[in-house]
This record gives sequence, C-alpha cells and structure tokens, in this order.
Amino acid sequence: MRWVWVPLVVVALLAGASWSAAGPATCALGVPTIKLGVQGAASGPHADYGRQIEMGAQLAIEEINAAGGILGCRLEMRFMDEELRPATAVRNARFLVTEWGAHFLYGVDSSGSAMALGPVLRELDRIQFFTHAATHRLTEELVAQQKIKQIVRVSAPVYQDAVAAWLFRDRRDVRRWATIGADYEYGYATWAIFREQMRRLRPDVEFVGAAWAPFLTTDFSPHIAAVMATNPDGIIATPWAGEAVTLLRQALLQGVFDRIKVWFQAMGGSVDVLEGISQEVKEGRFQGKLYATARYIHNWPNTETNRSFVSRFAKRWNRMPNYSAETTYSAIYITKAAVERARSLQTDRVIAALQGMRIETPAGVRVFRSEDHQFVYAVPAGKVVWDPRYPIAVLGELKVFDPKDYWRWPPFRPLELSK
Amino acid sequence: MNHATRRWALAGLVLVLVLLPVVGSRYVVYLTVHILLLGLNAVGFNLLFGQTGLLSFGQAGFYAVGAYTCARILLAWPSLLPGVLGGTAAAAVAALVLGYLSVRHTRIYFAMLTLAFGMMIFSLAWKWRAVTGGDDGLVGVPRAPLELLGLVVPLPTVERYYYVVLVAAVLGVVVMHRVVHSPLGLALRAVRDSEVRAAHVGLDVRSLRLVAFTVAGAYAGLAGSLLPPLENTVTPPIAHWTASAEPVLATLLGGIRSFAGPLVGAFVLVVAKDVIVRFTVHWSLVLGVVVVVLVLGFRGGLVAALEGLALRAPRVQPAAAGEEGG
Repeated sequence: MRWVWVPLVVVALLAGASWSAAGPATCALGVPTIKLGVQGAASGPHADYGRQIEMGAQLAIEEINAAGGILGCRLEMRFMDEELRPATAVRNARFLVTEWGAHFLYGVDSSGSAMALGPVLRELDRIQFFTHAATHRLTEELVAQQKIKQIVRVSAPVYQDAVAAWLFRDRRDVRRWATIGADYEYGYATWAIFREQMRRLRPDVEFVGAAWAPFLTTDFSPHIAAVMATNPDGIIATPWAGEAVTLLRQALLQGVFDRIKVWFQAMGGSVDVLEGISQEVKEGRFQGKLYATARYIHNWPNTETNRSFVSRFAKRWNRMPNYSAETTYSAIYITKAAVERARSLQTDRVIAALQGMRIETPAGVRVFRSEDHQFVYAVPAGKVVWDPRYPIAVLGELKVFDPKDYWRWPPFRPLELSK
Repeated sequence: MNHATRRWALAGLVLVLVLLPVVGSRYVVYLTVHILLLGLNAVGFNLLFGQTGLLSFGQAGFYAVGAYTCARILLAWPSLLPGVLGGTAAAAVAALVLGYLSVRHTRIYFAMLTLAFGMMIFSLAWKWRAVTGGDDGLVGVPRAPLELLGLVVPLPTVERYYYVVLVAAVLGVVVMHRVVHSPLGLALRAVRDSEVRAAHVGLDVRSLRLVAFTVAGAYAGLAGSLLPPLENTVTPPIAHWTASAEPVLATLLGGIRSFAGPLVGAFVLVVAKDVIVRFTVHWSLVLGVVVVVLVLGFRGGLVAALEGLALRAPRVQPAAAGEEGG
C-alpha cells in the first residue's frame, strides 16, 4: 500500500497552498487589519512601473499607519507580479481576495490585464483601483455599459494623449503629422483621439504617415525611415518605457530631429523615460523639439501637497515618483477617504461613498465621475528640458488644459480604431 | 506497485478530487482547475513527445485556437457544450492542417516549424482585432450553462464549473490511456524508436505522426476551450511560445516515459509557481532554480524516481529484514 500516500500528499500540498485569513477582530471595522492587494509588472523590461506602484503603495500605507490607520485599523499590503499577463493578473486577484483576504485591490499596468480582471472583480465583489492601465474600454465598456461597479480608475486613461492636439494647435508651422505607434490598442487609440481632436482644432492639418511597432520592438529604424519618408512636420510616438528611450535614441542617430519641428512622446514624462534620455537632454540633442506628457508629472502642480509628496517619496526611495507611484499612492488615500465616509469595508457602501468625491492629491484635485467610475484630473504637457534643480530631465514650459476639452465624456460612442 | 494498490491509489485520488470543493478553499479549487487544464494539455502533448518522439513548441497555438473558438461560440450562443466541442474540433482541424506541413520533418526542424506555426497563431490573435479583440482579447465570455439531454445545469460558481473540468479531464486521461495502450500506441512507439524499422514492417510513419499531432492538438484545444468559461476572458499571451513551454516543462518534470508523468509534472509546476510567487517577486529566478534541480535531480522525471524508490523497497523482504536485525 505504499502508493496510498499519493492522495495524502496531494491533499497536504493543496492544503499547504492555502492558509486561513481569519483572525480576531481588533479595530472599528471588525477586521484585524485592512488588507490591500497590489499588482504591477515586476519582471521583464517594464518592471520599473510595477516597482513604482509598489513604492507608492508602501509609502501611503506607512504614512497612514503612522497616523493611526483608517478608523484605527492598520493597513497591510501584499504585492504580486502581474507579469503583464492577463492570466497572471486574474490568478493573483483570485489569490489575493479568496486566500489572502484582500479588502481592496490596486494596480495593474497592462490594459489586457485590466480588461481580464473586470468580470472577475464582479464575481469576487471587490473594488479594484486601477492605477496605470489606460484603455478607454475599461471604464467606457465595463463600467458605463456593463455596469461592473467594482472597477474604479484613479489614473488618467488614454484620453490624456489627446492633449498633444491642444499643445500644438497654435503651431501653424506644424501641418503634417505622422505617428510611430505601438502596434496594439494603445497606439491605435492614441492616434485616433489625437486625429479626432486635431481635425476639430486645426482643419488644415494633414495626417501623412503611420508606422506600427510591435510590443518589445528593439530596432525602430525601419519605422523611423518609413515615417520620415512622408516628410512630416510633427511625430507623435506611443512606444513607452524602455522602448521609448530606444526609439528616441535611434531617432537621434538617424538625424530625425534635424528634419522635424516637433516630436510628441505620449508617455515621455514618465520618470523611467526621463532618466533614460537625461544625458541627451542635458546636451541639447533634441534641439528643444521634444515634448511629452504623462499621467502625472512630479514637478506639477506647484502645491504643498505635491511638493511634500515628492520630497517624502524621494527621501524614502531615493527616486523621483513615476505616475504609477502617484496614482497608487493617491488611490490608497482615496480608499481612506471613502472608507472613513462609509464606515464600512462593504463594496456597495464604499462605492456609494465615492459618489461625488472631490479629493486633493499630489497630482491635483481629482473628481469622481459616477457614470464610468473614472477620476478626472488635469495633467499638463510640456517640453522636455534640463533643470539643474532635479537629478533627471523634467517637463518645462508646462501647459495645462481642462480635461473637459480633450477627455471623452458620457454618453460614450465607440472609438473608431484603425491604423 | 501491483494493480490492486494502483487502483486504491487512483480511487483515493479521484475521491480527493471529487471532495475538493467541500474540503478546499475556493482558491484551491480554482488552482486545481488550472492543474487539470495543464495536465490535460500535457497528457496530449506527451502522445507526441514521449510516445512518438516529436518535440512540439507550438501547443499554445492549438490551446489558443480552442480558447478563442469556444469564446466566440459562447459569446454568440451561451451553451457550454457547443463551445467546448467547437473549440476542440477547431484545434484538431488546425493541428491536422499544420501537422500535415510539419510532420514531414523531425527533430530540430520539426520543433522550429511548430514554434513558427504557434507564433503565427499568436500573431493572428494579436492582430485580427475583429475576431480576437486584439491585445485586449475577448472580454465578458459567459460561464454558460451545461445543456445536455434536455437538462440545464447552471454554472455560476467556480466550484460547480470545477466538476465540468474534472469530468472532461478524467475522460481525457482515460481515453488517452486507451490510446497509449492500443495498437496505435505501439505503432507510435515503434516510429519513435526507429522510423526505418517501422516503415519496413509496413507502418505509414508520416500518417502515424500526423495522427499523434492531431490528437495532441485536440487535447490542447480541449484544455484551451475550458479556459474562457473559467476566466471570462481570452487574451493573446495564451498563444505565445512561452505558454507552449508549460506542457513541455510539465512533461519533463513528471517524466516522458510514464503515463502519469505529465499529470504529476503539471501539479508540481502549477503548485510550485503559486507558492513561490507568494514570497518573492523574483519568482521566475527561484522557479527556474527549482525546475533545474528537479530535472537534474530526478532524471527521467519525478514519477520514474518515485517508481524507482518503490521498486527498491521490496528488496527488503521480511526474512531479510529479520536477518539484518539478527
């Protein structure tokens, strides 16, 4: 009967794969601690975004705990690698909620992961505060249409990239636009909303070329050559993170900045991109033609809340905060405000407490939009410059536009995506 | 291990699996569904690899064909059985077509062809937005009810859906067991051991390889088609070559020469990763070390190593033990 132990081992291992989250209630909300499950890309070439999510979350938790927690309840965090894989994000969420006992979820980086999580959140009945994934479909389709109420987005969606149209609307010398786009929905959506806005503001512009680079492209020279063959005045580029750094360096090597008038790097205001091109910016190699935005920029707004956040973040982590750090940090403070208002951890009550919320965060005032559970706030765009007060390149000559002008608003009509 | 003991062990294992939703947490049930899906995929893969001697790096492609087909069917016609059967059939057809082109070659050429075809399917999943939803995938796939002979079984919970997957997995394993121990299985092993000799005794080597490839593709498709109702979503990464590595790893871990090897490997791989990711974000490094240790430490696979232990033990007969004691 030696083999009888096989099922016993199976049982033991399966039992070992789970451990109970139950424990004695110790705070006003009837739980020992409030558990926050956080996910982000922690492996692969985009791992810095996950690391920033983790740093932002941890800083917020340390601060809130030091100040007595939420209604006397301490916060506890568990961070997991999303791997930019939807299946992993779903598995993590299920583990965090059903095994570890998370009360709230935060992250994720990938839009695909965000879309995959949506239906699962309804099944788990837990609120996920999305702090990076930018697809418009998350809030427009899953919340506004399908009524998955557990989805809340704190970060700016892909609408943010349409700010480029407003930034350059008065540049009469820039008439011919082309894109070097990420060859997936983010790239198509950015190009679509940029063209939509630009056509409205500047009927005289032409869209002359487009080249699409697959995810994890390392050699952009054919894409650059294809777009430059159309003789554009301006280029809008959507490869992000390390890919953006590679693209910009290769554009310099190919002399692109000698021939164009402006280059808009959609998420170029991200700390990892600014770090990557700091030397080139310092040397003036972009000739003042490189512009960018992000979903938060550490040198804006010039408020005490933001200055204090950046200072504390830099002191704690010896890094500038990326947008995914700020959005996650703010999401946890939004949770605090909602739970204190609801005096409950129940999903329905917390969602009710979010209605009408208007909250001061490092990125400025965020306002909850009830139709699609999207927090609305303004992020400026500007020129990538070197400022000796900062250890890395920053965005200067900042221009702020009202999101009412360039965000999409309900009722939503489908966005026509095409190359 | 004699037959009686083996039967007891199997009966115990099935009993544990049947009782799992009662005794295990919801997450353990969910995790077990993933083990069963990988196990099913790996059992099919091993017909190709362990029995026929062909290493495919494209199984994720057929898994994805099954998943996407099932998802499209369920979105249009929310009934589980047509979705799963449609997904499995589509994957089998895809395997038949691509297999026809692949089995002309063996060894590294075959592996590279299957890798290329698998990545072609990945590209289709990524680019054919009208059908696959592009990088965001197909979202909101319903966990449709099981409708059979006029009986409608709703599947609102993971626990209930688990039983569907369990039945499919048990049926799949039983059928594969019959195939492996049939004359077809013998013929496949003959092709694996010496294709020249097999051809000389009258076996149609290429047709046999094509049959193995198609059956393996159908098993991958069956596993894939059981995924969308669980996750409500299908996205392109399931078709990536890194996903093709999972049944390969599971089979190598468990052992290619043992029928149970891929199942044991699937269990170890899924549980090991799930445990490791709880402790470190550097899970891939730790998992890699664990896999290397297991593969090097248990050459021939975990099942072979355990069987070796079991075979060594009977040498210590009671009489001999008495002599030693004396």
